[in-house]
Amino acid sequence: MDTLLSGQLLFAALVSGSLYALIALGLNLVYGTLRLLNIAHGDLVMIGAYTAFWLFTLLSIPPVISIFAAAGICGLLGWAVYEGMFRRLLSNPGLARRVEANSLILFYGISVILQNAAALAFTSSSRGYRYLDTVITWQGVSMTGNRLLSLGVAAAICAGMLLFMRFHLFGWELRAVIQRREAAQIVGVNLKKVQPVTIIAGFAIAGVAGVLVSMTEQITPFMGFPFTIIAFVVIIIGGLGNVGAGVLAGVCLGLIETYGVALTAPGYRSILIYGLFVAVLLIRPEGIFSKAVRS
Amino acid sequence: MKLFDIALGLGLAVAGLLVPLSGDAYLMGLVFQLAMWIALAQSWSMLSSTTGYLSLGHAVFYGIGAYVCVLLTGTVPFAAALIAGALAAALFATVIGLPVLRVQGPYFVILTYGLAELVRNVVMRIESALGSFGRMIFMVPSFEVLVWCMVGLGILATLGAYAVRHSTFGAGLAAIRENEVAAETIGVPVARLKLLAFIASAVIPGAVGGLSLLRTGYFEPAQAFDPVISFTIVTMALVGGTETVRGPLLGALGFTLLSEALWSNLPQLYMIVLGLTLIAFILFVPRGLSGLVDRLWGRG
Repeated sequence: MDTLLSGQLLFAALVSGSLYALIALGLNLVYGTLRLLNIAHGDLVMIGAYTAFWLFTLLSIPPVISIFAAAGICGLLGWAVYEGMFRRLLSNPGLARRVEANSLILFYGISVILQNAAALAFTSSSRGYRYLDTVITWQGVSMTGNRLLSLGVAAAICAGMLLFMRFHLFGWELRAVIQRREAAQIVGVNLKKVQPVTIIAGFAIAGVAGVLVSMTEQITPFMGFPFTIIAFVVIIIGGLGNVGAGVLAGVCLGLIETYGVALTAPGYRSILIYGLFVAVLLIRPEGIFSKAVRS
Repeated sequence: MKLFDIALGLGLAVAGLLVPLSGDAYLMGLVFQLAMWIALAQSWSMLSSTTGYLSLGHAVFYGIGAYVCVLLTGTVPFAAALIAGALAAALFATVIGLPVLRVQGPYFVILTYGLAELVRNVVMRIESALGSFGRMIFMVPSFEVLVWCMVGLGILATLGAYAVRHSTFGAGLAAIRENEVAAETIGVPVARLKLLAFIASAVIPGAVGGLSLLRTGYFEPAQAFDPVISFTIVTMALVGGTETVRGPLLGALGFTLLSEALWSNLPQLYMIVLGLTLIAFILFVPRGLSGLVDRLWGRG
């Protein structure tokens, strides 16, 4: 009982919860505006992690700087995927219907390519580096600098994105496209601008999350898939396309996971996450926290 | 066109049945793989090609079949263990079918995936709680017999897929694919047909899982429920083409040969080619290899 009430566990829950919220945020933006289910999302986290790893080991560039590099690389990839694959198809309504249904399969193809290309280039062995890993104790809670940094960056980006969507004109356009795509176009939202910007932002956010992950965990070319699943769990709990509720759900998942594992055993972690995922889909596929977003 | 299909089907079946007589281990291995993927892809198509409910979790049926089979071998004859594996997969489909099939579109796709992963993790947990880290089995039948059984399953699945498509049952499923609400309105028993298709697509993968297990002689839950199995099935069926029974045959044939050429030396390159092919076909050849054959024959 003491461990359950300790600040230590709460800190751990918040660190992973903020990370999940961040990863899910990117996935949710892409689904909300493009109706594409990006199953390769976790692999962008992997690419961000490798970017940070190589910049740190080869050039001694700290992850704080790599965040921008990872965002740039993943954003570029998002632009390439949009231009190369989806732009023409999304603008043609007949084709769009088919591509949206198949987007999951298309992104699976991308995911397989990214994972195996990374494995070819970097080998499959796991790698890691040490950065800001001295323990700081505050009010009886032991924290490492890299975990604090991870929490801070993830929370800042999530909050920034939510504020942007509430107060900036482009954020309004984004929300309009998410809620009613056709109606948004009628009132003058330029879909051809909103869609590529969103996919670039969504991919870039995943890259940043990858940098944060690489500071505290070992990385491999196949590390991405669990993150994809977690992101899906989060946005399904929050409601597909519902960005604010998704952030809340991410933090909740971090809490549920950390406390659930503390109450049982680490071996139950996957069962817990998948069980939650299946249960939510069966009971309320439109999400627990939100009204359904109509396509 | 009919001629091509009959030649293709008969050619594969006869070759599959004759190869074990040669005793060539490499060829038998190849035939075993090919027949396995044909059986899996055809089974998948009975649900997913006909109704449009794309299942990304067919590894669950394969894994359940393998698990039941490994638990039973030694106590019952292997044929009975295989049948039990198939029935267990069908039973699982029956139990989860109604709630799962209420979920539609992309939600259904990710739900099937998540469900398969859930079962995989539960089985892994059970096995480690029992203190077993992989089970070995002995006294397996000869490889020739296994190849014949697998070819038999491939033929059965292909005939089954044909029968489903060319029946009123199949017509009902096609109506669900085109417009489920309209189908229900005009009196198609939507829920029952979907459930039957789901069960039909689960039976044979259960037996296939059991047979593959007998071949390797080793059961390890992470492998038996490997999501790569589900993904490979979907890739083969989509690249082959979902509109005809010919599609999964061509898809399985193409990828099995490709994997033979690349897998042992360059597994990562094989997976990259798999991904690229999948993307290219979905974007540019939506009717798949089967559609290409149609065009070559001059009947678009």
